[in-house]
Amino acid sequence: MIQTIINGIMLGGIFAILGVGMTIIFGIVKLTNLAHGEFVIIGAYASTLLANALGVDPILTLIITIPLMFVIGVVLQSVLINRVMLQGSEPALLVTFGLSIILQDAMLLLFSADAKKANVPYNSSTIPLPGGLYIPVLDLILLVISLVTILVLTLFLRRTYMGRAIRATSDDIVAASLMGVSIKKSYAIAMGIAMATAAVAGLCVGMRWTFYSSSGSSYLLRAFGVVVIGGMGSIPGALVGGLVFGLAQAFGGANYGLLASYIVLIIMLIVRPQGLFSK
Amino acid sequence: MKKAENLSTRQHRIRVLGGLPMLIIGIVIVAVLAVLGLTDGSGNTQRILIKMCLYCTMACMWNLLSGFTGMTSLGQQSFIGVAGYSMAIMTATYGMSYVVGWIVGGAIGAVLALILSLILFRMRGMYFAIATWVIAEALKTWFNSWEFVNMGGGMFVRGRPDQTIIFVLSLVLCVVAIVLIYFLLNSKLGLGLTAMRDDADAASSVGVNIFRSKLICFVIAGLFCALAGGMYYLNNVSVYPTNAFGISWTVSLVFIVIIGGVGTMAGPIVGTVVYIALDEVLANFPGWSNIILGLIAILIILFLPDGILGTLQKKLHFEILSQRRFSKE
Repeated sequence: MIQTIINGIMLGGIFAILGVGMTIIFGIVKLTNLAHGEFVIIGAYASTLLANALGVDPILTLIITIPLMFVIGVVLQSVLINRVMLQGSEPALLVTFGLSIILQDAMLLLFSADAKKANVPYNSSTIPLPGGLYIPVLDLILLVISLVTILVLTLFLRRTYMGRAIRATSDDIVAASLMGVSIKKSYAIAMGIAMATAAVAGLCVGMRWTFYSSSGSSYLLRAFGVVVIGGMGSIPGALVGGLVFGLAQAFGGANYGLLASYIVLIIMLIVRPQGLFSK
Repeated sequence: MKKAENLSTRQHRIRVLGGLPMLIIGIVIVAVLAVLGLTDGSGNTQRILIKMCLYCTMACMWNLLSGFTGMTSLGQQSFIGVAGYSMAIMTATYGMSYVVGWIVGGAIGAVLALILSLILFRMRGMYFAIATWVIAEALKTWFNSWEFVNMGGGMFVRGRPDQTIIFVLSLVLCVVAIVLIYFLLNSKLGLGLTAMRDDADAASSVGVNIFRSKLICFVIAGLFCALAGGMYYLNNVSVYPTNAFGISWTVSLVFIVIIGGVGTMAGPIVGTVVYIALDEVLANFPGWSNIILGLIAILIILFLPDGILGTLQKKLHFEILSQRRFSKE
């Protein structure tokens, strides 16, 4: 029981970082990004393949994947999504849906349907605790990576000029643009940040579980669940949502973890659709 | 708002293609399809026509939900999958006729829609869209680990009738679906629906019973998606959780409706013809079909936001069947 709770908390970090990218896009760009799951899987492939090619620890590949994904996100938003967003939210939703199926099949062609995983020597090592309990080393490392990423992101949004501009855009588009903030640039940076968090989430997914080119949709639904539980655009909310999902996953086990997560999400949608931490 | 719309209508003199001429054209199209399907020796034309009729039925229903009532569902596969499994369970597990399987599937689809409406109608917009998807995924996960339906191993339908019978039933189903939607949209309920899609609060304040209107549409869509899904899996024989509850159903339906024109009466019909033609051609390029479909969908949203039929209608100032029901004015 206590061990299950420990495992759940450890997993919570991964689900939180999954949800953070989604919640940023929800809160700032006001877009439901149905391709976020595929972005995460792209991150997972990038880290796994780079680690194998360079023979280094997968965590070090973040030095390459984070800037790379950031640039891809900025370009994607500037070239494509900013244009469709002029037509309203529904066409934009459907464009991300189109992106998601394109990416899914492109990854299937590029990387085949085989299961992939980024293996590390400390895969199954544990830190013993009193009372026969233990902490899995891998999960602890991933939790720390997730929390550090979220902390850096929060500091960026609070302390830097660009971060403030982005938050201003999310609060009031008209007022922000009157103050000289470029809305399109804010959106592009926000998408870049979301992609960068997807790179981190992808690393976690790739190290923790086996993944397939088609795994994106199940991670998208979990990311969405984290956002719904935490409230749109709320980073602390994503942490809590991640924790809830981690516990649902840990208690459901391998067979019913996914089903348990979906049921928690549906209940949450019925009871409090605006989320726990909504403004 | 309404005045402006009337003005623009007068300026362009929109010709409404409807009434007797359209009825005759419709009958001729159905007759041609029937003759094509029934005189087909090799069975290949029949196979394509069955697919067209079933996809057209489901796409019209998706359009009814998204284009006319503003409920964008990403989870119609829930009804399709449940009906596919009803067909397999009734025929294989209980040894009954496919007719029983079909009717049971339809009934379960309608009841499922009723039950889900309790959950879903609390949400709007993207919450609704994602919740429908989550429910379909939950069903998929459940069927994947439910021993009664052979878990992920899938089931087989027994006693599949001759393909000609499946063709006739599919064609009838498709015609009934289109006629039903036509009458639904031209009724008082239909006007209420479009008012609701454009502004739910305003419609509610002038006396449109939103809940009832939405419920009727959602149940009809559930029923017909289930009937089409049951027929599809009767024809297909095998049913697996991953494809029966797969998001690829929604991908197809969204694609068909976008390409044809969201919120136009005949858009899904045009879209289905284009989609099935593309699908047949792309079958020669395994792995590329979704990439190409996705690219086409994005390009259409960018450059022809009203779809093929919607753009033609605006350019040439005509409307097929129903009047003044454009989604964007």
